Amino acid sequence: MLSLFFENIRISLSAVLANKTRSILTGIGIIIGVFSVTVMGTLISGLDRSFENSMSWLGKDILYISRYEWFGDMEWWEVKNRPRMRTQYVRKIKERSQYAMAVAAVMQRGAMVAHENKDTRTQIFGTNTDYMETISTEIDQGRFFTDSEDRSGSRVTVIGHGLRELFFDGQDPIGKHIKIDGVKFRVIGVLEKQGKFLGLFSVNNQAILPLGAYSRLFSKRGFTRLSIKVPEKMIDDAKDEIHTIMRQIRGLKPRVKDDFAINQTKAFETQYNSLKMAIGGTGLFITVLSLVVGGIGIMNIMFVSVKERTREIGVRKAIGATKGMILGQFLMEAITICVVAGLVGLSLAYISSFFINKIFPSTLPLGLSILAVFMSLIVGVISGIIPSYQAANLDPIDSLRYE
Amino acid sequence: MSLIVLKDIYKIYHVGGEEVRALDGVDLTIEENEYLAIMGPSGSGKSTLMNMIGCLDTPTSGIYEFEGEMVHIMDDAQLASIRNRKIGFVFQTFNLLPKATAQHNVEIPLVYANIGREERLQLASNALTSVGLGDRMHHRPNELSGGQRQRVAIARALSNNPSIILADEPTGNLDSKSGDEILAIFDTLYEKGHTIILVTHEDNIAKHAQRTIRLFDGKITEDFYSGP
Repeated sequence: MLSLFFENIRISLSAVLANKTRSILTGIGIIIGVFSVTVMGTLISGLDRSFENSMSWLGKDILYISRYEWFGDMEWWEVKNRPRMRTQYVRKIKERSQYAMAVAAVMQRGAMVAHENKDTRTQIFGTNTDYMETISTEIDQGRFFTDSEDRSGSRVTVIGHGLRELFFDGQDPIGKHIKIDGVKFRVIGVLEKQGKFLGLFSVNNQAILPLGAYSRLFSKRGFTRLSIKVPEKMIDDAKDEIHTIMRQIRGLKPRVKDDFAINQTKAFETQYNSLKMAIGGTGLFITVLSLVVGGIGIMNIMFVSVKERTREIGVRKAIGATKGMILGQFLMEAITICVVAGLVGLSLAYISSFFINKIFPSTLPLGLSILAVFMSLIVGVISGIIPSYQAANLDPIDSLRYE
Repeated sequence: MSLIVLKDIYKIYHVGGEEVRALDGVDLTIEENEYLAIMGPSGSGKSTLMNMIGCLDTPTSGIYEFEGEMVHIMDDAQLASIRNRKIGFVFQTFNLLPKATAQHNVEIPLVYANIGREERLQLASNALTSVGLGDRMHHRPNELSGGQRQRVAIARALSNNPSIILADEPTGNLDSKSGDEILAIFDTLYEKGHTIILVTHEDNIAKHAQRTIRLFDGKITEDFYSGP
């Protein structure tokens, strides 16, 4: 039956090519359906990837303590009324916690950073030596500052990869000086290059200072948080413990609400998953809708095709085509329209994925592409089966007489 | 054994409560290598008889044996198979597929017979050469004259090497010169040993046949040998 199969493909393709405009118009629903599902998949794959990167940058084993809750729904003035985080908490937490492996106080604010005649506005961070353990980035060149540099208030800084490119352009920055809000700092290290966080903003231009110097010079503005590294597998226990310790530090009575928040990447995940559901849901809705509409269109055009070719059906039956063969021929035609349309949709999605890739790294998922084409095949079968059945059951004598 | 045996064939339609006897007790035996013309006015039942012989239709009652196979009890698939293997149709309006080349048109019965591509191409080109269209194989029907189209149709009917060729008014849509060419082809095929059944209402066409039957009101009224 292989020769019949190829014959059917040949007939189908020539029927599709003979009615190009009609086939394209008919296939638009399928094209849109396949396009939307694959583009959606591409978007989600890209989001997944950049989310994973960003999450590993934040660290799944880090607790972030600050005044505000990520994705919380507190009023700004409530947050504002909470007491600030203090760098002294670091010592207290280290003393009392059995889970905390590293505790860094991180103060952050915006500042003007300059070198010779170049300058840029960026974020500066004041922190302690535990900081490197709470981020996933490594030192690319030079070294991080030491405890004694921190205590003595040395004006040294570790700069982001971007600042090195901006200011030093290939030259060795170690030992050179940069000015942060007008104060001279000696560069002692450079961080390796980092991706953008959630594809949104880059931290490559940051400058990290010892807390000692930072608090003396810049602590009037900006905010403070604590980053605590804990064993990833015990993060929930650790969170409970840190929570208790924080309440003790703050001296909160049992009934009083927390005046701080402990955040972890899980908060992002929850938020992200609902975003993903929204994108996926919308894409799926468009897909299903356009496939249903497209399928109805194809069914319609197949009825027309059967009508137009009644005589051909009669001739084919007279020269020996069985019902099954006629059924197969028309079913193949419907499938061909759908699969060709599916492939067109897929190509469009493939082209679009290049543009999406420019916004954030993503790939057209192979599995989904195959599924999408398979899906259009199924639409072809479903929408083609009734017209094909009708064609197969035409009476050969009547069909031969059909004008 | 006779090639075709029709015994007491009835085909009865019910149109608006009225009984129409399209075939009313037909008995007919056709031997191998006969050239038979079926004649009769319109409504006489000659089309019904042709459809019956061509296995496109089954009788209401009666027995139809084709080379010993019981056609009257066959289902659709068996009928399709016997049409494919044993019957070559030639129609008044040629009924070629307009978008297919001459060669592809001739190939189609072979596709349904599940013959492989290479053999199919060979058989198709043989059949086209035998009707004098060896040089027109890749032309589409709209690039061919009426006579040439009908020759393609004959090649299609011949491609499966059928037991009978069933031609329904094959010259009806042709000018007399092309019609004569087509009849000449039938004559040659008959001489080569083919069995040909021709439906016509023109006496001078029926003259080509060696045997003629006339139908009237679903009954055979005349059956005589005349030809060479």
